[in-house]
Amino acid sequence: MTTFTREQDVREAYAAHSGELYGFAVRSLGDAGLAEEAVQETFVRAWRAGERFDPEIGSLRTWLFAILRNVVIDLGRARSVRPGVGEGGIEPTVEPFEQALSAWQIEEAMRRIGSEHRRVIFETYYRGRPYAEVAKELGVPEGTVKSRVYYGLRALRVVLEEMGYED
Amino acid sequence: MKTDGCREWRTSLGAYVLGQLPEGERAALEAHLQGCPECRAEAESLRGVAHLMPLADPARIVEPAPRPPAELRERIEAVIGAEGAERAAGERRHRRRRRFGFAFGGIAAAAVAAVLVIVVFAGGSGEERWPEQQVAFKDLPQGMSIDAALEPHAFGTEIHMYVRGVRSGTLCRVFLRGADGRTYPAGSFRYRWGDDSDAVLSSALDLSRTRAIGVHAGGRTFVAPVSGGDATATVLQLNEEDPT
Repeated sequence: MTTFTREQDVREAYAAHSGELYGFAVRSLGDAGLAEEAVQETFVRAWRAGERFDPEIGSLRTWLFAILRNVVIDLGRARSVRPGVGEGGIEPTVEPFEQALSAWQIEEAMRRIGSEHRRVIFETYYRGRPYAEVAKELGVPEGTVKSRVYYGLRALRVVLEEMGYED
Repeated sequence: MKTDGCREWRTSLGAYVLGQLPEGERAALEAHLQGCPECRAEAESLRGVAHLMPLADPARIVEPAPRPPAELRERIEAVIGAEGAERAAGERRHRRRRRFGFAFGGIAAAAVAAVLVIVVFAGGSGEERWPEQQVAFKDLPQGMSIDAALEPHAFGTEIHMYVRGVRSGTLCRVFLRGADGRTYPAGSFRYRWGDDSDAVLSSALDLSRTRAIGVHAGGRTFVAPVSGGDATATVLQLNEEDPT
């Protein structure tokens, strides 16, 4: 596929990437309805600009996320000028796009790694529990918890690379 | 330097980059890293992951990933399908215009008349400069359309017919009517559903002597006027400001 101009291209891209695009749109916009709107707009814009897609410049996934980025910014802008928002003196905080993308990537990567690895990282890092306590709960030596944390981080790195993350 | 002992150190690297290693172990590991570029490189590669980790919202990690509803795919396909059909229709029209060689031209910038009668000149390829006539069939049954373009040639008239909205397989017989009131057969074609091309026919009647074009199709006859002068079907009137 050298361009993105056939309806079949859209179908294939939707099958491969809609889950991620939608997951991130929900994460970024905080609203399922808006996220659907954003994903729809992303595929429609991609289809309209299909002749400009060049796989030698970047992957289809990267291109779609770049379009989604613009869509999310446009939707955020539209939302910020909607009457009613900000009433009562509280402005909604809008997470910067890049930060939202990184946050979603690590959350998604955590969901994708094996449950044993996820469990030890979740308990020791996100819940701040001591290794000994987690080891006892799991019925394994403390060294096993430590090595699972290590292999868990390696697994996260692999998943993040698959998702296009670069240091 | 990498040694067999590296395996032990390696498994501590996760806890190390997450800042979870007790002070004593951390100091010992850092001493090892000083002399082991492989373990140092591994620690660095994990540090990128460790930097991202504080960004995550733990509550979202334990939730299942949201999935788009099935209707979203259907909506996107509907929008793209409609745009695709429109795009294909536009390409058809473009191809026809190119084939017919139509272009608005011959309008001098120094035109003095407020109302110009514009004759459409052929000029798409730049090789032929035949004045052409585009004919509009009006008052057709709903859903039906007939377009025709007539090109004068030394042999007579070349006719491009484009019919839509009749039953597939319908025989369409085309004729021209001359200034003498006689009817000149111009050939026939069958409309086929899904066929995007125009039918190309010809008649010995000279275009300058042609006053109407007609099509017999599906038991009915449709006629549109053709003229070098007064028929509105072939002449466009535009209001144009005097540029001066």
